[in-house]
Amino acid sequence: MNIAVADQQIKRANRLKATKLNNRMVTDYWDDLFKAKEEGRLVCWYEGVAINPILQAADIAWCHGEAMSALLAARNEEGPAQEAAEEFGYDRELCSYARTHIGCGVLTQNSTPESVSDLPRDSEVRKGLAARVPAPDMIISAYPFCSTGQQWDDMLYRQFGKKVPIFNISLPWIWGNKPSAKYMSGPEYREAVAFLVQQLRECITFIEGITGKKFDHDRLREIMGYIKRAAEIKVEAMRLCKAKPSPASFFEWTNSIAPVNFLPGGPDIVNYFEIKKAEIQERVDNGVGSAPVEKYRLFWDGIMNWNKIGWLADKFAGYDSCIVAGRYTHMGFWHETEVIDLDDPLDGMAQNYLTCPISISAPQMVDKIVEHCEYYELDGLILHGARTCRAFSYPQFLIAEGVGKRLGLPVAMFEGDMVDESFYKDELVNSRVEAMLEQIEARRARSM
Amino acid sequence: MHPALGVLAEAARRPNDHARRWKAKTGRKVVGSFPMHFPAEVVHASGAMPVVLQESDDPITVGGAGMYPFFCGYTRSVVDQASKGDFDYVDAIMFGDHCVQILSAADIVRNRLPETQVGFYQLIPSLRDKWSLENSMRALDRLIEGIEETLGVTITEDDLRASIREFNENRQLIRRLYELRRTGAIRLRASHMQHIVKSSMVMDKAEHNALLRQIVDSVEPGADTLGGGLPVYVSGHLCQAPKPAVLDMIEDCGAVIVDDDLYHGYRYISMDMDETGDPVKAIANWYLNRNFGAPCPTRLDPGIDWDGWLLKAVDACGAKGMIVLMAKFCEPHYFYYPRIRKAFQVADVPHLLIETEHEMLGLENMRTKVETFVEVARRRGTPQRIAS
Repeated sequence: MNIAVADQQIKRANRLKATKLNNRMVTDYWDDLFKAKEEGRLVCWYEGVAINPILQAADIAWCHGEAMSALLAARNEEGPAQEAAEEFGYDRELCSYARTHIGCGVLTQNSTPESVSDLPRDSEVRKGLAARVPAPDMIISAYPFCSTGQQWDDMLYRQFGKKVPIFNISLPWIWGNKPSAKYMSGPEYREAVAFLVQQLRECITFIEGITGKKFDHDRLREIMGYIKRAAEIKVEAMRLCKAKPSPASFFEWTNSIAPVNFLPGGPDIVNYFEIKKAEIQERVDNGVGSAPVEKYRLFWDGIMNWNKIGWLADKFAGYDSCIVAGRYTHMGFWHETEVIDLDDPLDGMAQNYLTCPISISAPQMVDKIVEHCEYYELDGLILHGARTCRAFSYPQFLIAEGVGKRLGLPVAMFEGDMVDESFYKDELVNSRVEAMLEQIEARRARSM
Repeated sequence: MHPALGVLAEAARRPNDHARRWKAKTGRKVVGSFPMHFPAEVVHASGAMPVVLQESDDPITVGGAGMYPFFCGYTRSVVDQASKGDFDYVDAIMFGDHCVQILSAADIVRNRLPETQVGFYQLIPSLRDKWSLENSMRALDRLIEGIEETLGVTITEDDLRASIREFNENRQLIRRLYELRRTGAIRLRASHMQHIVKSSMVMDKAEHNALLRQIVDSVEPGADTLGGGLPVYVSGHLCQAPKPAVLDMIEDCGAVIVDDDLYHGYRYISMDMDETGDPVKAIANWYLNRNFGAPCPTRLDPGIDWDGWLLKAVDACGAKGMIVLMAKFCEPHYFYYPRIRKAFQVADVPHLLIETEHEMLGLENMRTKVETFVEVARRRGTPQRIAS
């Protein structure tokens, strides 16, 4: 008898109340960005790592490409932008973040007569959320590992007729040629950090050239102070999820990416994580779990299906499962706060960028995942192969093998995507997840 | 077929077997690399033979357990070959290219070959930043250190200069063949040209140069061998070689491929290195300037437009149209192709897109498209030359 199927019921995950505050902050941020041009502010489009503190310190409004694409998907408004990109000729096997964001570029830009003709004919399409993103006054590319990120920015640069200044930050990939190369240590790592810091300083000079103002390093220190504190509280709150049942799930942490990825660094994000941590602590004290019944504790590897966060949270709750931690949420977004020196934050910022979930190669990545699986006492791994995010998907066979060998955990692998839901096949997901839960049950039965 | 061409074709068809035999015969080491910009001169200077690891024609079997099917055919094939032990002759793998799929494959290959040193020396993909030269030179210094340490050798500046000279001669000889072919002075099918270039990637350079000299010397001037075929330009296919059957099919449809920017073609030999001065700087400059020889969508170079460059290249070789060969899942190509398509539409130059896969499917379907394309391009006559 199929245990998992037999037990599956329609259940809803217990949402944290703090999520509503997060959603409000996110909405406020986008509303503010959409007004930036009217208020005379410069706008920067960027992809990749969180360079927004630098932009904030320079009083520049910012649009993070992945965040924009994720927002559209989460609100089921990704269609017009993706359609615009497809109409321009971009293949749907291309990174869906890039396609969606470039589609925004097609919809919003009006800088050249040639590009106006590329706009979709349907005027309704032009009115959507995607078309409200203000056109950039500068583009900064800072993509870790994934070459697609740099090419995506190059396409935006060309889309806007090469008239918008662009600055490229080349992030070294942390490979580890020598035995001395360890996580966040060794000569190769330090050389990579030094090169990145050099480029961040040059980036600041580039920004000064555009704003015509001297960069305010004191402001950057202040902003990074808030970000560091917010991230520390976030990690503390995550660690509370060692409790059984886990008071929060991976899906709650995906909802908390914005404050440590692209929302302005200030008291609000610290306040948000304080409230969230207190709510989690309260759940721990009262034995309340994110899943109404927690029989299985899981790890999520891979990027999020942004159009299915709540739906997937309920789906796994229905399997009496809680996805407690994930590579995307727990191994990035200012996760190494201790190296951020507020007197000179660029080195620590660079280190956080270089240790994000795709910036380290598989051996170090697998080690970190094993650490999380052990700490949170997990039973299995969900490996979500985002079809158009090869950067995130490639190591998943190595993760399955590595974690499997070291901890004996079963895995469920399935394909999906971050913002193109056409790649997600629900019945396939059901069968894979159910098979993994069966394996967990069998493993438990053998150990009894 | 010239006998020398037969030797090159055999090495191109079975690169692993060829390199394995070379190693057994010479007792020297072999270092593999990934495409497309790795300066193999550095490996050559160590006394080892550099080999660009190639996509295999074999179906992907055990490698499928290491990589999702939505990666390009080249990377899936390399993982498959590593998983099957086909790279057992390789003493080390060194690479520097920054493409997400190459890096992904390399990480999996490293896992599959735990006894083999797999070294990554990242060549900066952004070519025109003020630190691009300094950073490239630093990566090359680290690469030289890595080869010296792995192979237990010392590489001198004179060693590097000698290798640069040998590689330059190789590139110049192949470019000479391209020139002869463009003018119709030599009849080499596109698949023959691929054998010539691909074998250069996997053979000892001195041996390859000797065979190339034989071919060049055998050319009788003045012959017109286009034979009434429609001259076409072929673009695309970056890391992986197009199947020779696809190139033959195009030429069997009444077209003659007179020029290309394929990696297993003109792209590979488009630029020489400076033979004087600091050899590390010369290699770095070669890397940074390769886009002037053939623009590459894996590099960032704001001043270069692949689309405009292609229009000029088609014009220069007298082609009546262009066929784009696009390897499925090649994201760099996916990004730049829409601009190429638009540029050719605006310039009213016939062009045809053919998407290819590792598992060669639908050759007859492709044939129908190419036949139609050739017919249309013939009727159109000489394209409007806006590029010139």
